[in-house]
Amino acid sequence: MSDVLRARGLEKTYRRGRAVDGVDLTVRRGERVALLGPNGAGKTTTLLMCLGVVEPDGGTVEIAGHRLPRGRSAAMAHVGFAAGYLPLPERLRVGEYLRMYGQLYGLAEPETQALRGLERFGIPHLVKAMGTELSSGQKTLVGIVKSTMHDPELLVLDEPTASLDPDVAMRVRTGLAALCQERGTALLVTSHNMVEVERIAERVVFLSAGRVVADGPPLEVAARFGRDDLEEVFLHLASERQASEHTEGLRP
Amino acid sequence: MTAHRFEAPAHVPRGLAAWLRIWAVARRHAYVLYRSPHRLFDVTVWPIVDTVLFGSLGVYFVSQGGPNSAGQAGVAYLLSGIVLWHVVYQAQIAVSTGFMEETWSRNLLSLMVTPLRELELVAGIALFGLAKLVMGVGVVALAAFTLYAFDVTDLGLALLPVIAILLLGGWAIALFVVGLILRFGNGAEALAWGIMFVVMPLGGVFYPVEALPAFIQPISALLPTTHAFAAGRELIDGGPVPWGELALAAIGTLVAAAAALAFVAWMLRLFRRRGYVTRYS
Repeated sequence: MSDVLRARGLEKTYRRGRAVDGVDLTVRRGERVALLGPNGAGKTTTLLMCLGVVEPDGGTVEIAGHRLPRGRSAAMAHVGFAAGYLPLPERLRVGEYLRMYGQLYGLAEPETQALRGLERFGIPHLVKAMGTELSSGQKTLVGIVKSTMHDPELLVLDEPTASLDPDVAMRVRTGLAALCQERGTALLVTSHNMVEVERIAERVVFLSAGRVVADGPPLEVAARFGRDDLEEVFLHLASERQASEHTEGLRP
Repeated sequence: MTAHRFEAPAHVPRGLAAWLRIWAVARRHAYVLYRSPHRLFDVTVWPIVDTVLFGSLGVYFVSQGGPNSAGQAGVAYLLSGIVLWHVVYQAQIAVSTGFMEETWSRNLLSLMVTPLRELELVAGIALFGLAKLVMGVGVVALAAFTLYAFDVTDLGLALLPVIAILLLGGWAIALFVVGLILRFGNGAEALAWGIMFVVMPLGGVFYPVEALPAFIQPISALLPTTHAFAAGRELIDGGPVPWGELALAAIGTLVAAAAALAFVAWMLRLFRRRGYVTRYS
């Protein structure tokens, strides 16, 4: 299986301190990977560096054989991105929004692809709705349609089901699983919902204080920390982080 | 959920993809204008207000000094100045507010993870901006004609290079503003409009450099718009095509455009390096 994303030695320091410290991240074609960690672990910065939006201080990123930043435009043709926190632009209907992104991805028939995508996720009735009229769950679903309509090799989802009802979240998981199975799409997802991660991901990468502290199948990772599931690993890492911050705060 | 199989979609040929992306951005901004009627103020109401203000000023001064040829030329200077000023103004405002629209709607991150290149984004916004510019300048020209019997087309074809230079000048100012917004965030937005209030008096829109206080004159002489507007006034006077002024304006504008491009590229690098995109997500 070849790599669709290969990031090596990623480093990033902001004014407030080191955010990412030598992260290696590989996602193979068709693989479903979750990037996990407590708040401030460096997940979003790592994702944004992998997407070419934030420039790393050190390290390299390659997507579908295109090295960033030079090959960013060509690389992004193979990537879909959606985030639960991103709104839909105002003053656009859902159909217009999807058509625009379809054109940005070079689709010959963006309207057809948009309709197919909306039907796939059970929301064809939203095609004429204004972005501002949607619930947060509907916005998330439309964002996922946008990110999948061009048949990406790598789908990056940042907190995709954070605002979804359990039934809609299940619809999303089923749709994503079908996409990965039928098209061999690789998935890189971040989430704070460990139960969901165990259902979606076949491999998890745990970050803590900007470093990879575990990388493997969910059950193996949990066992490595002597825990029963990912939720417990997460809580363990979060408490460690809190303790280290507290200690640093006590230092003279 | 409907059980739809995922199929590989057809893509346009690679050579067309960049044009399609530019078109997609232009179309998106057309929707924004269509659904935000208040934004039509920029291309309808303000142009008419400007025309009435400067046209009436000219008419008043002529009436005070008696109808003489110098006074009449003054009215024409003011009216041609405001028509041509709107080329700079509309070009600048369309691009800078077009970019700001993407920050207001928090669409920047989504755009940055598509194949859209930075120049294509600006080109798409500028393309739709051209349509707004035609509307805005058309309204000023029409108002000048109907209210003050001033026909800007009397200046002839020589007006075209003046317009082209001012258009490029407006885009250069817009790129400078976009660079500042990338660096300083939405706090720099006021500059989109504010910078025009600096350029207007210094840029020779209504009067030559000599009319300014002596210590400001060197700054004004450096601005390419000063020479473009001077060329416009020479055309009003009925003189030959002022190639000298046009050449100075063209060279100055090209230098300014290159500097603005370099500046915005520098700010974009800083934007990526410091992760400022999180301001808009």
